[in-house]
Amino acid sequence: MAYQPDRSQYPQRRPDGTLDIDLTSGKYLKLWQGPQHPGITGNMSVELTVCGDEVVAGKTHVGYLHRGFEKLMERRTFIQCFPIVCRICVPEPDFNEYCYAAAVEELAGITSPERANWIRTLILEMGRINSYMMYLGGQAGSLGQGVIGQWTTYARDLMLDRFEELTGARIYHMFILPGGVRDGLPEGFKQRMEETLKEIESILKDVYNVMYCNAVFKKRTVGIGYIDPQLLDSYGITGPTARAAGVAKDVRRDQPYLVYDQLDFEPITGKDSDIYTRADVRRRDLLMSVDLIRQILAKMPDSGELMAKLPNVLHWQIPRGETYIRGECSRGEYGYYLVTDGSGYPRRVNVRGPSYTHAVALLERLIVNINIADVAALMVSLHTYPPEIER
Amino acid sequence: MVESILSLLTLLGFPDWLQSVIIIMLKIVVILIPLLTAVAYFTLAERKVIAYMHVRIGPNRVGPRGLLQPIADAVKLMFKEIIIPHGADKALFLFAPVLSMAPALAAWAVIPFEAEMVLAQVDASLLYILALTSMGVYGVIIAGWASNSKYALLGAMRSAAQIVSYEIAMGFALVGVLMAAGSINLGEIVMGQQGGFWHWYWLPLFPLFVIYFISGVAETNRAPFDVAEGESEIVAGFHVDYSGMAFAVFFLAEYANMILVAMLAALMFLGGWLSPFEGIGIFADSWLAAPSILWLLVKTSLFMFLYLWFRATFPRYRYDQIMRLGWKVFIPITIVWILVIGVAIVAEVGPWFAAGVAHG
Repeated sequence: MAYQPDRSQYPQRRPDGTLDIDLTSGKYLKLWQGPQHPGITGNMSVELTVCGDEVVAGKTHVGYLHRGFEKLMERRTFIQCFPIVCRICVPEPDFNEYCYAAAVEELAGITSPERANWIRTLILEMGRINSYMMYLGGQAGSLGQGVIGQWTTYARDLMLDRFEELTGARIYHMFILPGGVRDGLPEGFKQRMEETLKEIESILKDVYNVMYCNAVFKKRTVGIGYIDPQLLDSYGITGPTARAAGVAKDVRRDQPYLVYDQLDFEPITGKDSDIYTRADVRRRDLLMSVDLIRQILAKMPDSGELMAKLPNVLHWQIPRGETYIRGECSRGEYGYYLVTDGSGYPRRVNVRGPSYTHAVALLERLIVNINIADVAALMVSLHTYPPEIER
Repeated sequence: MVESILSLLTLLGFPDWLQSVIIIMLKIVVILIPLLTAVAYFTLAERKVIAYMHVRIGPNRVGPRGLLQPIADAVKLMFKEIIIPHGADKALFLFAPVLSMAPALAAWAVIPFEAEMVLAQVDASLLYILALTSMGVYGVIIAGWASNSKYALLGAMRSAAQIVSYEIAMGFALVGVLMAAGSINLGEIVMGQQGGFWHWYWLPLFPLFVIYFISGVAETNRAPFDVAEGESEIVAGFHVDYSGMAFAVFFLAEYANMILVAMLAALMFLGGWLSPFEGIGIFADSWLAAPSILWLLVKTSLFMFLYLWFRATFPRYRYDQIMRLGWKVFIPITIVWILVIGVAIVAEVGPWFAAGVAHG
């Protein structure tokens, strides 16, 4: 029998639709989660109004991490923007590099060589694995299961080693540039990558046994944080969160970019649209990324151009135009809207990140009538990264 | 040894009443110092065990292999300021840790470590322990209330409801034990299990054994029932505003309670200081078959390890799920099993109830 909480003490709705919350009545309590709180992913805060143990209203507050990157880019040359774009989303920087590079290429009329496209796809999938590994640790950690975070951090570290080998950096690679990529694969990389993938698969097996098969984990996540599939369009929900609701939305398949049209994959979908399904969709997506990396390494050409011919990047002027580049990052659709005016600087760069739509409006809606204990788990299950909310 | 001290005191001319006071004080010290050392090293064991489960190494900087870590922790906490939050009830704020610590230590007065090794031979020792372990909840509630913090208050309320609920399941599990042993003296409960591994009460009372230990985990607010200090929700629960030694005292009380629950489980269900090799032919005359405090410590460590294992692998239950588990699952099972034991005693089943009703 489902648990039926007593909601008779909950605030009434006023005629204008707002809640009649009288804090002096003693029935309600304002509780802040964040900006420094172990249950919040990064620097943002949620202001909860609770009645008993349940949330009656939630308000998200962002702005603790605003760095003004979009504005900053307007006074920088196109190539100078690269150290900035990768810092927009800290845990998954490669997507910013790719989208921005592709937008610049499109407006400047450059096409990147075939081999560079394969390497870009490889990097994006490696970044996706990193991001999912962080998510798995966070999802288990939000429920107090610390062990998963330790295991997945180890798995992520192995992947960071491969990144270091390939790009020379661990977190911010700045490897994808307009026109192509900086370098080819190092010697023996494919074999070491295969070892890493095997290790990741075995760690994921352990994670599956300890986390997904755990009765308490199921109790805490099944049926919690349900997202109605009808909300997907009105709230702009994309990525695994949408796929867990049964809608096969995946930019990699819907509008193939790079070499995704030459790879063999099907978008992963779930049915129940709750926290457990979202976690499960992400786990299967991670395994799919492992498979995609294997396909890429098998199919990619070993020789060829890596970089298209670029003009002198210090005096690079791009003709007037605008473009929107989209791609599927680990959290949903990622997009860059770039406007140029013929000068050496971008006129406007607008980043469309999935965290913004997921963590602000959607979270405020989903947070109502759930237990305080589930707020952190729900927030993590939307897979939001606050640095990406505030560019 | 007690006699030699007594004769020494008589020689020095102490009056009789002072002699017994000194002897009791010495006994308390003899129990408390190993206990507090055990608590300190239990924290190190926790960090090490969980670290290895996490594929880490754990503390290894202070002393050889990190063995002085608990001492460094204690020194650090002693030198920290005890911050009293603005608007807190100062007297209650400082009284709460004491109220939490005192019962956790006082309960050890009736724990028998071996047949005659007990500070106070109380006939109702089981009742005494039940009474004292439920006292600990006052420390938690007062701490949450006196801190003048919403997080602390929420944690304290959850903790209070949880401890009171699981007290009932735990009490029923203990009723099974006292029926089986026909006594509520812990020493006699252990002696009732004589005869080797299969004579211990864990087998006939298996559901009660499991429920007792899980309730014990819930009583001490440990994972997976640690909603009172649910890190991702209410940060640290009732002791969120405590610092320095005031916090350390809560910490010590929690760990002393954990060891207490583990030792009680060993005493009541795993034959206490009795040897697991008792009654097996080849060991008959060796030291292995002799009852000794060593066995009690080994069995207690087993349960203490379970505590750490739970914490490393389980996510946290939600508060309402914990309450449902306690009231709707554990209490009915214990009541049913008490009936089963009643029937078994009347029917004189197995080696456990062979003495029948006359035993009680």
